[in-house]
Amino acid sequence: MRSWDNGTQKTLETIGAWMLGILWLIPIVFSFWSAFHPAKFTTNFDLFAPLTIENFIRALSCAPFPRYLMNTFILVTLILAAQFVLCTLAAYGFVRFDFFGKDILFALVLLQLMIMPETLLVENYRIIKSLGLLDTITGIGIPYMASAFGIFLLRQSFKTIPKELVEAAQIEGVSSLGILWKVYVPLSKPIYIAYGLVSVSYHWNEFLWPLVITSSVNTRPLTVGLAIFAAPETGVDWSVIMAATVMTTAPLLVAFILFQRQFVQSFMHLGIK
Amino acid sequence: MDVITLKDVDKIWGNFQALNHVNFQCKEGQLLALLGPSGCGKSTTLRLIAGLETPTSGTIEIKGKDVTFLPPAKRNISMVFQNYALFPHLTVKENILFGLKARKVPVTERRKRLANAVDLLGLSTLLDRKPAHLSGGQRQRVALGRAIVAQSSICLMDEPLSNLDAKLRQEMRQEIRSLQQRLDMTMIYVTHDQVEAMTMADEIILIKDGNIEQHGTAEDLYNRPETIFAAKFIGSPPMNILSPDANLMKAFSSMLPDGITPESHRIGVRPEDIQISENRGINVEIETIEYLGADTMIGCRFGEQRITMTVKGKNRLHIGDHITLDWKPDHIHLFDAQSGRRLKNI
Repeated sequence: MRSWDNGTQKTLETIGAWMLGILWLIPIVFSFWSAFHPAKFTTNFDLFAPLTIENFIRALSCAPFPRYLMNTFILVTLILAAQFVLCTLAAYGFVRFDFFGKDILFALVLLQLMIMPETLLVENYRIIKSLGLLDTITGIGIPYMASAFGIFLLRQSFKTIPKELVEAAQIEGVSSLGILWKVYVPLSKPIYIAYGLVSVSYHWNEFLWPLVITSSVNTRPLTVGLAIFAAPETGVDWSVIMAATVMTTAPLLVAFILFQRQFVQSFMHLGIK
Repeated sequence: MDVITLKDVDKIWGNFQALNHVNFQCKEGQLLALLGPSGCGKSTTLRLIAGLETPTSGTIEIKGKDVTFLPPAKRNISMVFQNYALFPHLTVKENILFGLKARKVPVTERRKRLANAVDLLGLSTLLDRKPAHLSGGQRQRVALGRAIVAQSSICLMDEPLSNLDAKLRQEMRQEIRSLQQRLDMTMIYVTHDQVEAMTMADEIILIKDGNIEQHGTAEDLYNRPETIFAAKFIGSPPMNILSPDANLMKAFSSMLPDGITPESHRIGVRPEDIQISENRGINVEIETIEYLGADTMIGCRFGEQRITMTVKGKNRLHIGDHITLDWKPDHIHLFDAQSGRRLKNI
């Protein structure tokens, strides 16, 4: 009786997984279908319909997607670089040094984890405005650069490094920063990769905050550009919109397919910690 | 010349006194063993010398200079850790050169020292491997290599052999000792294994609960242990510490001074100094026989007390046999029962 139950369970799980997978795929398949076929085939699923890249050409001429792509690229790179530097230094401080108020500071860091960034929208806007960074890529990135999640992850990773390695490095004459760079950072490589993937995918897909902060083509990231493009004023031409969507999601999709294993491993890694 | 001096060093962690008034000197070119059971403070002493901890009070001098509050990097010492502390992300070669690169030693000098160390330790085939792909003994050698290339005249070792199997330990013991002598290094060697201390060290400091029990050569500790603790710690199997009850006194009172009582005295005699006798001596019953090949350890009982002796090779005795044990007067060690200290005696 028990083995029968196990077998049934496995079958049900497999069916469930497949259903979820198909459910997830349907929008992507639809968008590809619509993007590569002329407008009249958007809802007419004729297998022998002619393929075309006309939608892409039109999308590109209607809105400066390459510029948007570059903006997004600069944005995620800038945020990631700043996060690596700031979170590494902060995590190192928390792990290796004892100072007055350390626990309170760390509690504040953890507090940030509990706050949804959207609730701070107005306050952040005010601060960015007073800094004179409205409608700049830096302005989009600043609220995210000191990431509590990053600090937390790196602190956990740094804590697993045995004290003996630090002591050996000290005896060899390495300075504190040297120890950070030569011992802690190399040994935390998987965490950096995992965090990098999380950060890039989060900020690539971010919409609300960039929408609020940016107002010109020079700074608008892909998400905002696409939304504006798809807005009713320009008319709802699904095939062109789908073409634009494919263009904007393709880079991340390709990256995910190429780095699937690292993605999954990195999330598992985070789970273990 | 005294290369390392500790003066009245105390170390207190919260309420716990780890080291109490530790005073000693280590001479140049000497291998000094810090010996003692787990938790006695020997590793703490080593770490204070290294600069990884600072003493609560007292001073530490290296080559005449007060280094008590100096960071490890400035003390010009090298250290080998119990778990080797090799950097897992670096190859053997990079591990060895780690310190030299950090101190910006010129490349030609680096290469020379590396070749020298690799030669001495037989590491030439392992240079591109990472520590995860090395055996315990190989990792040990890499850790030694890292210490050697630093070319500091002082080397600190924290139980470097305790993670190796018995055979490898013996080989590495000899290798480390010969290396120390060849390179004329001043070495402070922490261990809980009295065999290591006895075979390797020029002088041994026996530590118990943060206090120095005895400081002397291996011979001093073996022949004239200052306390019951020292007597039992050195020598394997450990010295028998007996209470001078009626049985014992009947057989040996002629060898002992007057006024010996079970409340205030203890008699010590090493198992290897006991012989089976035909006539005089103490009557015992055999309880255990352990055959080791070269020796046999015989555990006996008389009254409430147990006594162990060793005989050479095998013999025809059985458990339950009654035999008579005897020993010479100068093999008797007399201790005060309350303080554990050795008494001036025979």
